[in-house]
Amino acid sequence: MCAAEKPRVTRLIGQSMPTLEAADKATGRVEYMGDLTVPNMTHAKIVRSPFAHARITSIDASAARALPGVVCVFTRDELLADDDMETLYGFVYRDVPVVATDKVRHEGDIVAVVVAETENIAEEAVELVDVDYEELPSVMSVDAALEDGAIHVHDDFFPIAPELRPRAGTNICHEAQISKGDIVQGFAEADFIYEDSYSAPPVQHCALDRHAVIVDYEGDEITVWTNCQSPFPLQREIKRIFNKDARVIVPYVGGGFGSKSRDRIEVVITGAAKLAKRPVRYIMTQEETFQTFIRPAYQSWIKTGVKKDGTIVARHHVFTVDVGAYAISGARSANNTLKVATGPYNIPNAVVDCYAVYTNKPPSAPYRGLPTTQHTMSYETQLDRIAKDLGIDRLELRRMNLAREGDIHLTGDWLRNAHTHECLDQVTEAIGWDKPLAPSADGKIVRGRGVASTIKYTLTPPREMSENSAEVALGEDGIFEARFGTVNMGQGSDTTMAQITGDALGVGLDLLRLVHSDTGLTPVDSSTTASRSTYHMGNALVDASDKLKEQILAAAAPMLEQSADKLTMGDEGVTVDGDPGNGLSFDEIVRRNGGPFAAMGECVVGGTWKAPDGKEYPIASTFWTFASCAAEVEVDTETGLVRLVSAAASATTGTAINPHSIETQLEGGVGQEMGPTLFEQMVWSDEGQLMNPTLMDYPLPTMQTMPHYEPRFVEHPFDGGPFGAKGMGEIGAVIVPGAVLNAVNDATGVMFHEVPLLPYKVLEALDSRAGSEA
Amino acid sequence: MRPFEYIKPSTVDEATSFLSQNAEDSLIMGGGTAAVVLLHLGVVRPRYVVDLGGIGALRETTMKGSLHLGALTSIRSLERDPAIAADYNLLSEAASQVANIRVRNAASVGGAVAYGEPQTDTPVALTALDATVEIAGASGARQIPIADFYRGPYETALEQGELVVGINVPKPAANSVGCHMKFTIGSPENKPVANASALIALDPSSGKIIAARVVMGAVGGTPVVAASAAGLVGETPNDDLFADIAAQAANETDPIEDLRGPVWYKRRIAKVLVERALKCALQKSQG
Repeated sequence: MCAAEKPRVTRLIGQSMPTLEAADKATGRVEYMGDLTVPNMTHAKIVRSPFAHARITSIDASAARALPGVVCVFTRDELLADDDMETLYGFVYRDVPVVATDKVRHEGDIVAVVVAETENIAEEAVELVDVDYEELPSVMSVDAALEDGAIHVHDDFFPIAPELRPRAGTNICHEAQISKGDIVQGFAEADFIYEDSYSAPPVQHCALDRHAVIVDYEGDEITVWTNCQSPFPLQREIKRIFNKDARVIVPYVGGGFGSKSRDRIEVVITGAAKLAKRPVRYIMTQEETFQTFIRPAYQSWIKTGVKKDGTIVARHHVFTVDVGAYAISGARSANNTLKVATGPYNIPNAVVDCYAVYTNKPPSAPYRGLPTTQHTMSYETQLDRIAKDLGIDRLELRRMNLAREGDIHLTGDWLRNAHTHECLDQVTEAIGWDKPLAPSADGKIVRGRGVASTIKYTLTPPREMSENSAEVALGEDGIFEARFGTVNMGQGSDTTMAQITGDALGVGLDLLRLVHSDTGLTPVDSSTTASRSTYHMGNALVDASDKLKEQILAAAAPMLEQSADKLTMGDEGVTVDGDPGNGLSFDEIVRRNGGPFAAMGECVVGGTWKAPDGKEYPIASTFWTFASCAAEVEVDTETGLVRLVSAAASATTGTAINPHSIETQLEGGVGQEMGPTLFEQMVWSDEGQLMNPTLMDYPLPTMQTMPHYEPRFVEHPFDGGPFGAKGMGEIGAVIVPGAVLNAVNDATGVMFHEVPLLPYKVLEALDSRAGSEA
Repeated sequence: MRPFEYIKPSTVDEATSFLSQNAEDSLIMGGGTAAVVLLHLGVVRPRYVVDLGGIGALRETTMKGSLHLGALTSIRSLERDPAIAADYNLLSEAASQVANIRVRNAASVGGAVAYGEPQTDTPVALTALDATVEIAGASGARQIPIADFYRGPYETALEQGELVVGINVPKPAANSVGCHMKFTIGSPENKPVANASALIALDPSSGKIIAARVVMGAVGGTPVVAASAAGLVGETPNDDLFADIAAQAANETDPIEDLRGPVWYKRRIAKVLVERALKCALQKSQG
């Protein structure tokens, strides 16, 4: 049972408290991967492919092995010679060789690992590994990969997840469709039909903490320290590949954003550690992160049928996602966003088609909201076009069509906690939508405002595959210990979990100790992704706390000669109701009990939901989060520079466990996504070489580019969430491009169908508009 | 980063004498903001890194008629020194726009000049101010006008083993006012699409322009001195004149297409920046 069944006293929930580890982080006491060392440790560097696509004709590592200080070199020869090492890995698509066997499929693909006594020696030895390649033609875009006669990135498909459907003889590694109503009928009923195409190029997450791993293969189990977001799936995958037990330990992580949600380096370094027979550490350079996981290129085509009054009656949305050379998670990510492609609107007839396509780019990974961001950009900017064309106010058109509580979504779900209108009202009020824009002094700076609304799902596997558990224990020292798999990557998860556990137990933070993300110490959890932890881990902790409390009260009852229902747990221990002086401290209870207490809790999801109408509805997403963003921009018509001047975002959060944390998560999402909206993009040459592989050439948002921000959120408890909470970690990012593009259109009359809004592209569009008006 | 031997001379002679033997195997480091990046990216793999940071004489700044900057003068101090801000305002304004405070604290003016990177702000302003580069080598010292110092992107008049030891900036003519403008994509600390310095002197009685200098950066292999700025001299400043001269100046540029934009765009930006710099200078002169 996930939900709390009886009313609870909340002391910690609802408080804006600073992150528990904030002071330790600010003063450098927190250890990240780069700070960790283990005795007798060696250092690895990776030999990477210079080509986007090539056949490896030979690898000669003898000179590298001969270099003093080199411990070993792990290549395909060692991989293929070891019968106790599987060749291919991957969680949802088993298409990644542990180390390249016959071909390399993207620039930076992993060809060999050099292990040495020092990083410098390893770096020197990398250059001594002599690899001969036969360069092959490459496909660097989805369009190229879908052409007749295009080369195939993979000859075979290896989907593991049951929902994935590749198309044989093509580069399509997954295709899927979702539909509702009758789209033919819907378009027949429409008075107007609009068709538009949109696109967004890849970007990189650029988390501050670079990917790193230490593997100790020796002993009874393999020990892996890594800053990944999904330690449990990784543990199982390592166990499968090496046929040996493994423990995965994740310290504090300095940002993931999805780039660490699936793993690329842990398995190959484990192979190297097996060969080295000593612990091996590998820390990726910033440049290598660009070759490891990226946000996929996205294209969409959307066709919308509307009535004269603005009612949307039909939508066809087709999108492609460039998963890169390996479909490690890209295919499933694309598939998941089918559920939200039509947005938070009530559209009776809709079809969405998804194609995930292999290319010779680096593998793709989720990026704070997956392609939901680009779906939102597509349908929200088209809505503004429709509003203008029909002469309907932009907000009014949205209000007419926004879904409400109880509307049936594309997936057949009965929408709950769907306070879409409230989000929109909050952000437009916050940004001063009705106030006049500052006048343009000399006509050179023009200003405008835009909004966007969205719907976001969370990872929702079939019930039998859901894994969300936690343990809470009371030890001899009278301190409660919460053990949970959620990775603390700066999102404030420890604090949120402490607030939930503390209130579930009825004790303050002083009596709580937290243990996070260690497969040897914390119960299984599927991943820290998809804004899922507050809901799923929060519920598991509530469940564990309830069970523990029951145990403790049952044990204390005979000690206090009272029935358990007359006892209360609090900071002082267990006391008798109405007689606060009569009680026992927690350590005393443990002592008299003859040992500590512990309870496991879980959060079961999936199945169906019984609506107020008495019918059962599917649960395609455990919860849905809705959000809106309003943005104000300035456009310099002489340079084409777009500046995000101010922004407001709001999301339906359920109960706000930590309001400050919610506000900063939303603001962080806005700040992060401003980069890919305005200036960030990865650019490759036709031959497949990345043209901007360093932070000198790849611009990132900084404090100097942050807009004025107005924090908002919509708080209505969500039935089923821990204390009524649901997730919202990603959604601040999702709503940015749509709002900004609409604001630029408002300012200039030019609607862009792609990001980023590079100044020269903006100026080009302004010129051509001026030309056509002249 | 590959291993290297770290050399830290304490005098210019010591540095030049070491470099006379080892220049080819050495990377010269001033503030380190460029050198460390080059080392990190593996662009250079020197046997020696020669850190000039121990040469106290290179930190000396004097103002006697003209401004003498020791090569190790930080970009931040150009920005912060009230005397420089008063008499050499264009230079302190350009300095204030370099990267961010952390970089400006570390980066040196000599390094910025010697590196020859076409996008850097301070050489553009120094060129507008007709600065002279002071060079030392094992065979002696020499001085060279900064406009002649630059030969191409990352190419300068420095011979092997020579060092930039100082910059001499003549005091601008009376009633001179300057302005520096730059345009970046994304954060202001990114490398600019273009930048421009304008320096004009006005006759206080007639209000006419009696001297003008316009220099543009990032739109050619070296700072581009606009010959068309001569068209300002003798004229009464006005918006149309500035727009016309800016358009001519932009035509004198020779940008390359890169991720910051195509050639036509960089020229457009150069024009806008020159126009804005001239207007800004005029506005300052008025008060």
